[in-house]
Amino acid sequence: MNWFQYVFAGWFVYVALIVFVGGLIWQIVKWRRVAKSRIVMGMFPKPAGLGARSAKMLKDTFFFPWVLDYSKSIWLFAGAFHLAGLLMFVGHLRLIHEFTPLVAWLGASGMDQFAFLTGGAFGIVLTVALIYLLLRRFGTPYKDLSVPEDYLLLILLLLIVTMGNHLRFFGTVHVTDYRDYVMSLLTFKPAFNAAILSSNVPWSLTTHVMLACAFLIYFPFSKLVHSIGAFATNLVRSE
Amino acid sequence: MTPEANARAELLQLIDSKMNRTLKYYLDTCVRCAICKDACHQYVATGDVLYLPAYRAELIRRIYKKYMTGSGRLLPKLFEGRDPEDDVLLDELYKTTYACTSCRRCMFWCPFSIDTSWVLAVAKALLLATGRGSEILTQLADSAIDKGKNIDLYTGVIREVLKGSEEEMRRIVQDPSAGFVYDKQGADVLYVALAGTHTILPAAIVFHQAGEDWTLSSFEGSNYGYFLGDTVKAKAIAQRIVDEAKTLGVKEIVMSECGHAHRVMRDFYRMWAKEELPAPMVSILSKVDGYIKDGRIKVTPGKITEPVTYHDPCQIGRNFGLFEEPRNVVRATCSDFRDMTPNRQKQWCCGGGGGLVAETEFDDVRLKSGRLKADQIKATGAKILVTPCENCRLQIESLNDHYDLGVRVSAVLDLVVEAIEIKPR
Repeated sequence: MNWFQYVFAGWFVYVALIVFVGGLIWQIVKWRRVAKSRIVMGMFPKPAGLGARSAKMLKDTFFFPWVLDYSKSIWLFAGAFHLAGLLMFVGHLRLIHEFTPLVAWLGASGMDQFAFLTGGAFGIVLTVALIYLLLRRFGTPYKDLSVPEDYLLLILLLLIVTMGNHLRFFGTVHVTDYRDYVMSLLTFKPAFNAAILSSNVPWSLTTHVMLACAFLIYFPFSKLVHSIGAFATNLVRSE
Repeated sequence: MTPEANARAELLQLIDSKMNRTLKYYLDTCVRCAICKDACHQYVATGDVLYLPAYRAELIRRIYKKYMTGSGRLLPKLFEGRDPEDDVLLDELYKTTYACTSCRRCMFWCPFSIDTSWVLAVAKALLLATGRGSEILTQLADSAIDKGKNIDLYTGVIREVLKGSEEEMRRIVQDPSAGFVYDKQGADVLYVALAGTHTILPAAIVFHQAGEDWTLSSFEGSNYGYFLGDTVKAKAIAQRIVDEAKTLGVKEIVMSECGHAHRVMRDFYRMWAKEELPAPMVSILSKVDGYIKDGRIKVTPGKITEPVTYHDPCQIGRNFGLFEEPRNVVRATCSDFRDMTPNRQKQWCCGGGGGLVAETEFDDVRLKSGRLKADQIKATGAKILVTPCENCRLQIESLNDHYDLGVRVSAVLDLVVEAIEIKPR
């Protein structure tokens, strides 16, 4: 690892994780410190009782059924985008620990093939969705509504996904080598092994990790807190 | 501090004082996806971004971001941060805030259920503090407060004017001793009407026939302080009725067919006054539905044979929860009931809410955005349009002329009186 890689694909990861977790906690504390409204502002018809309200809130948050009612294509697009993002995140956990039951079922080479297909498919879905969302912001009336933050986040995500696609489709490095890198991070001795260093991916891997860290750092201070705010606001709906 | 900096600090403090937890959730959570655009009748009818719900709230959010969040203080340009005293911002805010009918249809479709009208309550406070409150709404609110202070000057005149209506009531119910009941201590029901006997006479007939122990409030339920967004004035206007209910020791406050008055009494008064109502507030629609079900009044089924459709006022349906009660009453009186599509919680706002029918400066957007409701009414082929909200009725009367709908606009109780079987008492 050169110094740039050591900083941005190494220590930057720790900074990012601390800011991400700390920032989200800080955001929640900040919300909780503001007084609640005395007024109930729910919308009818609404379920009664915290159990039924929570069930509705979870359904509204994870499946956004009103959007389905509004436009099937937007529902599908937004659903695919969020689901691909989530599954992509889950897929990365393989770099910490192999999904043993899946390997037992598919075999080692079957698992690699499975990962290539799913990871590749999600990468393409995300790329297409991000390009669509970005182009959409330049049309009327979205451009009048948008602020630089909207473009910045989409461009940042697009770059992260593009680098990921490079690693997936053009990289010559095997999963065990990436796992070595993740293990080096987990043991606080960030390093690329010889296989990575001699391959075609150090630049894309470093950029991928660096931008992902920037994304995590910005996350708690941006509109991305909708990922936690949605639970609260959708619960207010049935207040 | 310079006077300018001082003024800004005061405005920011005002905004901050309005920020409760839910509002912060809203402002931090919106992703500007603009799914709300097709939920708003004003945006759909005009295509003007000014009326796009997320944009309405965004104007307040740009101030919030710049001054009340860490990221916005650090990088205001990233969020197009704005100043609270910015004239261009305030001009836009005025147009979009006082045009909003608070129908909360955008909240219904929002994946995060963000209540734009509530964010605009902050906008109204800011507009009032910068001397930009709606003039006509201020006048109307002030005159209502003035009436509360000098009620003795008003009651004599009002009751004199209502004598003709009492005469009509006696003729309809065939009871020479019938009349409007005033100032009755310990009555079961305090009936809060609107200005105008059209909201008193039908209710008086129904109460008489149901054998209800009622008394008429000296005050009207409508609250222009609420539309104006001035919580001090709004509270003073609602307080008149609350004090009257306390003095008379009534068991229920029954609200007439008025949308926003329902919410003001049941939901908002508690917040403004920080106290509960002295008696529960009940809608006249629930009362009449109960009278018919319990056999306290009898209506001739299918008396009205012309096709009838029902418009859900936003403040009574989506925002108050009465969908079936008024429909039950309407269905009991007519033989050809036709619901509009969409209806109930998904219904289109008529375009006249939020005090808009009183503000002539918004006539253009009011009539344009009413097209959606007009098209819905036309599609039913109904000859009678029933709706229990004065603002909706005024707006739909206006659409009736503008879009040539050829319907008779009626209140729910008007139909009840048409179909009621008078029993001598």
